[in-house]
Amino acid sequence: MLPVAVRFRAAPGDVPNRAGPELHDGFDAQGQTIRLDLIQGPEAAGALAWAALAEGRHALEIDARGLADPVALAAGATLRAWSPRATPRGTLSILCDAPRMAARRWAKTWPGIAGNLFARDLVVRPANDLTPAAFVQALQGLSSHGLQVTVHDRAWLERHGYGALSAVGRAALSGPYLVTLHWPGEGPPIALVGKGLCFDTGGISIKPAGGMAAMRADMAGAAACAGAMLALALGRARRSAVAVLAIAENTTGADSYRPGDVLRTARGLTVEVVDTDAEGRLALADALHHAIAQHSPRAVLDAATLTGSIVTALGHHHAGLFSNDATLQGATLAAGRAAGEPLWPMPIGERHREDLTSAIADLRQCMPAGLGRQPDACHAAAFLREFVGTTPWAHLDMAGMDRAEADNPLAAKGMPTGFGARLFAQLIQEH
Amino acid sequence: MPEISFVKAALPKAGAVVVLMAEGGEPSALHLALDAASGGAVARGLEAAGFKGSKGQSATIWAPAPGITKLVAVGMGPAAALTPDSAEAVGGATYPLIRAEKDVLLAADGIEMPVALRVALGVKLRSYRFDLYRTTQKPDDLPKLAHLAVALAEPTAARAAYAPFRAVAEGVFMSRDLVSEPPNVLHPVEMAERCRGLEALGVTVEILGLKEMKKLGFGALLGVAMGSAIEPRMVVMKWNGSKKKTEKPICFIGKGVTFDTGGISIKPAGGMEDMKWDMAGAGTVVGLMAALAGRKARVNVVGLVGLVENMPSGTAQRPGDVVKTASGQTVEVINTDAEGRLVLADVIHYAITKHDPKWMIDLATLTGAIIVALGHEHAGLFSNDDTLAAQVEAAGRATGELCWRLPLSDAYDKQIKSDIADMKNVGTRAGGSITAAQFIQRFVQGRPWVHLDIAGTAWSSKDLPTAPKGATAFGVRLLDRLVADHFEG
Repeated sequence: MLPVAVRFRAAPGDVPNRAGPELHDGFDAQGQTIRLDLIQGPEAAGALAWAALAEGRHALEIDARGLADPVALAAGATLRAWSPRATPRGTLSILCDAPRMAARRWAKTWPGIAGNLFARDLVVRPANDLTPAAFVQALQGLSSHGLQVTVHDRAWLERHGYGALSAVGRAALSGPYLVTLHWPGEGPPIALVGKGLCFDTGGISIKPAGGMAAMRADMAGAAACAGAMLALALGRARRSAVAVLAIAENTTGADSYRPGDVLRTARGLTVEVVDTDAEGRLALADALHHAIAQHSPRAVLDAATLTGSIVTALGHHHAGLFSNDATLQGATLAAGRAAGEPLWPMPIGERHREDLTSAIADLRQCMPAGLGRQPDACHAAAFLREFVGTTPWAHLDMAGMDRAEADNPLAAKGMPTGFGARLFAQLIQEH
Repeated sequence: MPEISFVKAALPKAGAVVVLMAEGGEPSALHLALDAASGGAVARGLEAAGFKGSKGQSATIWAPAPGITKLVAVGMGPAAALTPDSAEAVGGATYPLIRAEKDVLLAADGIEMPVALRVALGVKLRSYRFDLYRTTQKPDDLPKLAHLAVALAEPTAARAAYAPFRAVAEGVFMSRDLVSEPPNVLHPVEMAERCRGLEALGVTVEILGLKEMKKLGFGALLGVAMGSAIEPRMVVMKWNGSKKKTEKPICFIGKGVTFDTGGISIKPAGGMEDMKWDMAGAGTVVGLMAALAGRKARVNVVGLVGLVENMPSGTAQRPGDVVKTASGQTVEVINTDAEGRLVLADVIHYAITKHDPKWMIDLATLTGAIIVALGHEHAGLFSNDDTLAAQVEAAGRATGELCWRLPLSDAYDKQIKSDIADMKNVGTRAGGSITAAQFIQRFVQGRPWVHLDIAGTAWSSKDLPTAPKGATAFGVRLLDRLVADHFEG
């Protein structure tokens, strides 16, 4: 599952490449030496050590004796060892004071890493490869880990009145799909909902050409949810969980949905389409309804690369967190901190909801262009809230966080981050 | 804009009457007396109108009794949810219903005095108009409300308790006047002169001109100003109300770009007229000083505003210029339209070195990004001090001037690294309001500090509960309340 095999040992082995706080970057009689840089914490230190390995070297021993958190070192190195090409399988040996205890903690840690890397594997695939059908196929593979995978296709969605998701995916050759991943366990589940737009042209409200290539990652929310479910399955989680993924491609075509169309969502609310490029909230609306109506979850959390507005608001160092429930919000923030995936709370004001008043339908999807700057991330959250009723709900707008904007310890520039998978897995395991 | 007075509860001989009703509440004695005088017509009328007292509901009954022109019943919503803080919106909603009446009696005998005071304040705040430049208005189109008499059990006590609110309303109106003034009238020199008006309230006003600011090394502020034909000014307003005269002051600092074309990095034409209110941060500080001095707040305060006009011209600063701030730090000017932070940098440095404040708050219509982030309901709040930030947020909730905290961190600070100077004045679009705040933070020398980005809240394109559309004076009420709640000894 992981790109490196990790061992915790008490005595040094015969690994030629070594990292440690006392070493210097260079080579000695045995092999490469790497200075362990702990300034940004142990996870970053492990990652940087792995990143410093010379081309072609895939084995590393990190001397963590006397250091507080050998497991975090291993986690960082393993995350950094991921690469978009088929990864050569490496080995990582951690020298530490209490290897048996570290190994036990590692057993609880690595599933989250596997989930993160599974999400990266999905996000990195280009849109001609990861079509909606191919995404579904990749998710069906998760059944080998004990997840129950249910797929609803276009015909099912149209027959059952999922008018929003159906409209978004209608013009594409593949999809749309609604996929459910279920981990059977105790109690009512926590539900995850993910936006899985395999490519987003913007539709009739087409995006400018510059930067459109990045829209292949517009399924990163769904990938994060799938990664979290894999982590729960690998960790044999006690509590039940479910993920509902809205998978579609938003493209232009003779059968595209249009600005001005009125859609009837699965929940029954009618929505006036203002901008076909605000498709994510439409896809999520039906998926949120499905998660709540079919699974009666204790709480529902969605993740989506939803708005450019959140990038303007928070940049690339926090995802936006919107919620209707203070307890859930606090727990989600804490899980983000613990997973190294920082969130920042954002408001849904009365005005944000008022702005969505439609002259023709129950609500409109966003504010029309041409009315000046708009708090679109808040509008999107106010829109989604209409589809969750009284269920405790948290919404992660993770646009700007799906790929590394600059080199960082855990991911090279431009590479997917797997953001959200560890956070969700952490949250579900702890609550 | 009506005079507010307080009278004993008795039926008036003439004019209009407002009765307030909570949902499921009982009519007040005055309400019942009026009903009796009307021979039951009031009760029958309200019944027929389906008036229940819910929030936003109102009903009007014309000529209910001899001499009384009309009765307006206004709903206050559920009695349990009614607080002094929420009562202002009730007053604001009442104003449009009575603006055409000259004399109005507000029957407040059935509600708590603190609630009644805030209803009156709400009427007052909503009644603001700026008519200076209208010459063809018909008298019929003008509001006639001249006098609102609030009838309650203890008018003398109410009069005394309302006095601070009267001062605050004056401050709000002063701020709205400044922000509403057109930019050909209200330029830096003129705005500085208007600040002298505060002297009548006991505020010490000091005006610094080009020469003084050159001497102080205000390279950043002067760089912004040098494209304009009109000289910049910095105004320092001091109110020493604390019993301990030597107590360290608190500082409020306002961005006062009286018009912002963007400079050489010129803005698009559409909507540029809005840039007359790019001095709203300064407008708020001036109004706040009026409010604090007007109610004789027991606090030492220094208000500082940096007043400039940002124009493109042969003498304007260019993208690529490097300027030296008063602190000695250098700034590469990437975008001349990110000028507010340059002005604040020098004024904040001056505030710290000259006045040694306990803490400081700056207000600025700083970034368009804050509108994309939060919209028009919340101002963006940035701080290096959790306690002060929480106090500001709480004061915002109490006055309906909401603030929402956004993050600061080294990761954002890195975005304003310059290749040639200590920093550049803009980063990328990503986190634009945050990087602006990081820029300002580089000048606060670790002092407790809050930055309010009021670009989305200083001006409203539609009527708000206690502000007609236009200048809101956002921040005056909020910061007055902050001082009143925590910093008066």
